[in-house]
Amino acid sequence: MKREDVRNYNGEDGKPAYIIYDGKVYDVTESRLWKKGKHMGRHKAGEDMTSFISMAPHDARVLEKVKYVCDLEDDELVEEKNEKLRAFYRKYHPHPIFIHYPMGILYFGAFMLLLWILTGNKSFELSSYYGLIAGTLSVYPAILSGLLSWYINYEKTLTVIFKNKLIFSGLLVVISTIISVLRIFLGDMLFESNLYYLYIIGYFLTIPVMTFIAYNGGRITWPD
Amino acid sequence: MARLDENLSKQNKVKAIEEMIQIVLLRIPKEVEAMHFYKKAAEKSTTKEAQELFLSLAQQEKGHEAELRRILQDLKEELKNIKGDLS
Repeated sequence: MKREDVRNYNGEDGKPAYIIYDGKVYDVTESRLWKKGKHMGRHKAGEDMTSFISMAPHDARVLEKVKYVCDLEDDELVEEKNEKLRAFYRKYHPHPIFIHYPMGILYFGAFMLLLWILTGNKSFELSSYYGLIAGTLSVYPAILSGLLSWYINYEKTLTVIFKNKLIFSGLLVVISTIISVLRIFLGDMLFESNLYYLYIIGYFLTIPVMTFIAYNGGRITWPD
Repeated sequence: MARLDENLSKQNKVKAIEEMIQIVLLRIPKEVEAMHFYKKAAEKSTTKEAQELFLSLAQQEKGHEAELRRILQDLKEELKNIKGDLS
């Protein structure tokens, strides 16, 4: 019997109630604790109970009282496939590594830009330009690794925190890419046009946007 | 008027369920991490007692994870049903 076959034996509409435990299928139809395929208002027949046993007030010996049906055919759970990705993530934790690059570089670049505005020293402007390019490029791996984490650890569930992170990450990409393009293609002409203000505002705007993304990341790591 | 009150109450319920989903969702990877931590500790244990203790703790964390996933699934279904009623 395969896992999806067992799912049909859910005890509803007069159907037998089967459960899976440790790769074996059991018939709990006659058990008074599994009326209509429900156990303690929590568990449903047709499902795998293996992981729940440590939370139960009884141990696995209780299954000696019900009918054994058969062994489960070899199957690979979707969960197991995700587990391989999770193992990769646990080992290399790419998102916590990659997020530090845009954070560090763009903060540094914005500070250099501020120093250029205050002092007029062109070296500061050049530093902020290089910071912008490096920072913008480093936003992409940070976001991609974040999406990977969201996929494998949080099943792509869209809660307020993840919505915030997605929206503001998109905003960061748009802002940093636009101002990078402006600076690359216009060069020094940028500072003689009205687009100069857009560039300056955009550059400084990356700071609160990034900080808000990081704040929401902190709420994931340390939920309140 | 009664219909409006009912919708408002449902919207509050949607908000409450969404918050619950977030709470449960953020907890699941913590349980998974804890389980792996205890499994690793069991592998490194030098005595049988310590190994059994860590394996038992790992098993408990697995149970917490499974229970949270079950609750998450139920919450998602409840949310889907309420949102279906509202639309």
